Amino acid sequence: MSQAENTKHLTPQAGLVKLTMLISGAVFALMMLIGVVMRASQGGLLDMEPDLFYQLLTTHGAGMVGTAGLSGAGIMWYFLGRHVNLSAKMYIGFLALFLIGVVFILVSTFVGHFGGMWTFLYPLPAMSAGAWEPWAAAAFMLGYVFIGVGFLLYYLAVGVAIIKKYGGLGRALGWHVVFGKADVTEAPPPTVIAAAAVTIFNTLGIVVGAAVLVASLVNLLVPGFVVDALLAKNMIFFFGHVFINASIYMAVIAVYELIPEYTGKKWKSSKAFILAWSAILLFVIAVYPHHLLQDMVMPAWMLVMGQIISYLSGVPLLAVTAFSMCVYLHGSKFKWDLASSLLVLAVAGWSIGAIPAIIDGMVVVNQVMHNTQWVPGHFHIYLLIGEVGMSFGFMAWLVKSKSQKQSGMGAMDKLLLTSFAAGGAGFTLMFLVSGALSVPRRWAVHMPEWFLQDRLATIFALLVVFSILTQVIRYATGLSRNTAK
Amino acid sequence: MILTAFSPRSANHKVRTRYGILAIISACILLLILVVFRRALEATPATHMVLLLPALAYVGALFAKGMLPNGVNISEANANAVTCASVWAIFFWMLPRYIDASLVSPWVDLLKFTSIPIIIGGGLALSWRKTNPYLRGFLQANALSMLGVLAFLYTYAPVRICNSYLVSDQKALGGIFLGIAAALSIYWCLPLFLCPKNFNKKGLSTNNAIT
Repeated sequence: MSQAENTKHLTPQAGLVKLTMLISGAVFALMMLIGVVMRASQGGLLDMEPDLFYQLLTTHGAGMVGTAGLSGAGIMWYFLGRHVNLSAKMYIGFLALFLIGVVFILVSTFVGHFGGMWTFLYPLPAMSAGAWEPWAAAAFMLGYVFIGVGFLLYYLAVGVAIIKKYGGLGRALGWHVVFGKADVTEAPPPTVIAAAAVTIFNTLGIVVGAAVLVASLVNLLVPGFVVDALLAKNMIFFFGHVFINASIYMAVIAVYELIPEYTGKKWKSSKAFILAWSAILLFVIAVYPHHLLQDMVMPAWMLVMGQIISYLSGVPLLAVTAFSMCVYLHGSKFKWDLASSLLVLAVAGWSIGAIPAIIDGMVVVNQVMHNTQWVPGHFHIYLLIGEVGMSFGFMAWLVKSKSQKQSGMGAMDKLLLTSFAAGGAGFTLMFLVSGALSVPRRWAVHMPEWFLQDRLATIFALLVVFSILTQVIRYATGLSRNTAK
Repeated sequence: MILTAFSPRSANHKVRTRYGILAIISACILLLILVVFRRALEATPATHMVLLLPALAYVGALFAKGMLPNGVNISEANANAVTCASVWAIFFWMLPRYIDASLVSPWVDLLKFTSIPIIIGGGLALSWRKTNPYLRGFLQANALSMLGVLAFLYTYAPVRICNSYLVSDQKALGGIFLGIAAALSIYWCLPLFLCPKNFNKKGLSTNNAIT
């Protein structure tokens, strides 16, 4: 494909992706501010009514998960556009539906006072005890439906483009190389393999999510329609688990595409890489019962499966992505900048966060730790330092000028990186320490004995917010420069 | 303009015409069977919704294929519009109120026996392959979700959704919808993993093999 053709189909979408990342960055910053306020309130530094706390917690959860998905989708779209011809109209449709969904969710929480958490766990939305009206819960779930439909369009566009270019999802996953006679040189690029896997499992997750959302909406409007609570919980956690994992697996594409630009070594689709992504495809779908280890009525085999696959889930991540990155970085001499530093930090954060997650995925540990702050501890490590790190690494790369490329990391870059890394590590460590001390999660009001960790976490969170806010402003100003990306 | 749009396009026109006549005869026989046995087919919601209604749509598809053995020279935009009209007709006949009404009102019954073959069966037969692949994929994914939702509605409804049918029949229909959703998921998704026949190293030659 000539450069002109390349530019022709990439340019409008690059602009859309930049806009997506600007929206994502701004919402990340806003949601982090809400997080700081909640931690300060738990630490007794602010006086907040519990009902407002739960509205903020709902907004923070839904906002962060949605924005992680949005930023991951932006990254995947940008780099997949290097390999296949993507439809800009479909992306506009996705973005429009996503923003409509966000409006519904914000109206639901801030106007309708919905505080039923981002997991909308059945039958909580319909049982508010007067805290919110049914319309607020309905608006929240309709917001999810809009976002889900938007993502469905997104994955349709991705799936059609991949199948058209690579001849089936099986070939796009590289199965003709691993299970067929094709040579490894015929394997698709890592971006395509990752995009194909994410498209499969997240489409499945969204379809299941859409079904349970409509069922919950029907129950909300006609309470006589009673959903099997265990089935609804399984469907919700399948959808939620798959969706949030997909956000990281989409964002990691930035690592596959950008790290080689620094090291000069192409990220190869080896047989191990292909097998790892096929394993990820299966594990992401099958591991969700580890969220239900406290539900004694679940079939025992599902809980055992959840625990065993939790162990296995770390292998493709740690052994392939993290290890491969270390190999590619080893011996490569290049000038570190904010983008490369954030991307490497993000893979480290993702890998480190997987360890307490695997620990929590054991039945005996989960029985003690499930309702403690250990859980937000581990998911904040791989989402805050991992997914958010990848997103801001990509954003820093998008607006990097030629002069910055030559000078490497400036003093401000170092300050922002240190602030983000130290703040993120300290903030998540406070969650883990609190979890180890059996401090419950999701409580609006904390006992004075727990204030120390809450207050330290607030200070660390402020460091993160400073870094993120500054990076968003720098990104917005950087967009006005012509970076030719 | 209509005549040119429906003009024959290939040399084996005669063979296609023969197949077309066969399809029209088959459609007429099938329609006759459905009319004669309609009371038996309408006896339970499962046979009514899973056998009679799809069979009526199939009658329309056969008739359309028979009348226009060479297909229709239809633009993608028009195909999208026809497909959307068919989907709206499906939505209409998904409403239990109209299923009930068709059992008690001859006019609604007549509407069922005409609108489903013409708008749903005939419409989709002529437009589906020319419809935008994104729209087709979206409708297929939506069909799976909606079958899941219908399965839930019919299984957990606290009341009889159709006045003409028993609650136990209603629950059985819910289970059947779930089974159809599972079967369709496999039927539609498995080919996506296989390499299409028209694939070469430059990619697919048409969009039609995608969904």
